[in-house]
Amino acid sequence: MKKVWLVVLPLLVFIGGVGFLYQGLFSDPRELDSQATGKTVPAFSLPDLMNPETIYTPGSLKGEVTILNVWGVWCITCAVELPYLTQLRESEGIRFVGLYFDQDIDPDFGGKVLAQVRQEAKDMLQQFGNPYQFNIYDTYRDLSLDLGVTGAPEHFLIDAQGVVRLHHIGDINERVWRNKIEPVYSRLQQEQKP
Amino acid sequence: MRLLWVLVLMGFSAWGYAAQNNYEFDDATQRQQFNQLTTTLRCPMCQNQNIADSDAMIAKDMRRKVYQLTREGQSQAQIIDYMKARYGDFVYYEPPITVATIWLWVLPVVFAIGGLLMVLKRGKPAPPEDMAEQLKEAERLLKQDKE
Repeated sequence: MKKVWLVVLPLLVFIGGVGFLYQGLFSDPRELDSQATGKTVPAFSLPDLMNPETIYTPGSLKGEVTILNVWGVWCITCAVELPYLTQLRESEGIRFVGLYFDQDIDPDFGGKVLAQVRQEAKDMLQQFGNPYQFNIYDTYRDLSLDLGVTGAPEHFLIDAQGVVRLHHIGDINERVWRNKIEPVYSRLQQEQKP
Repeated sequence: MRLLWVLVLMGFSAWGYAAQNNYEFDDATQRQQFNQLTTTLRCPMCQNQNIADSDAMIAKDMRRKVYQLTREGQSQAQIIDYMKARYGDFVYYEPPITVATIWLWVLPVVFAIGGLLMVLKRGKPAPPEDMAEQLKEAERLLKQDKE
């Protein structure tokens, strides 16, 4: 009886180890448990990227299911996804709002001026397509920090009440849209209709 | 001797990165808290670096936030909670003890105790054999060979 355990126990440990490592092959270390999901959008009061007189607050995002897209002209993946996002806006009427931030305009880091940033953003949107209803300019990236943004591009699916329902790190392409975002999006749309 | 000095100084290079920020502090305690926090908070972007070490934009922003909060007089625990509320437990190098993570501490102890028990159980020396009897037997066999 003891002899049996000497064989079975190491085998069980080995199988357990293999199972553990195997599932590790398919897990994404970038997938963090988002702290923003399920909470209302944190308080903010930030200007429009193009027109500093317009000030946005969390209320500006409410009323409609919205995808808040973190982006910047320095972000290459953002340029890649812009045409697809524009297509989504045109064909499915999805409301995208940009959350724009730029490191180089920060006096701590670089010497860009706001006018230059605006021009660059305009050029990029003209070249690749403009999916955004408007762009919030996250001046000191406080809102990004509060939302738990790690870089760009990132997306927050926000319901009509202003609650974050999904946090997607990385770009939106056809596969991501169909498998991950669209199901939640249409469920939220359904919730809207009484 | 010079080589020895070089080696000793190289050992200190690990602390060099903490000096790259030109943040100013009112007192040494705040500076120490800042240095301690930036080396124990983890960068969410480049995942195997702390935020003092990382050059990612997010790490810079987090450093600035740590600086701000430290200047405001927040305690170390408060700042860690602030970051955890935004980036999850991941952001702090010391994991919290939960049902899922308790194994990190329990398993090594279990293995050590198990191994010790196994050694103790098996380690009993075999009963000493009767040497005299064996020598006698050998003698007999030798004799037998000679005949």
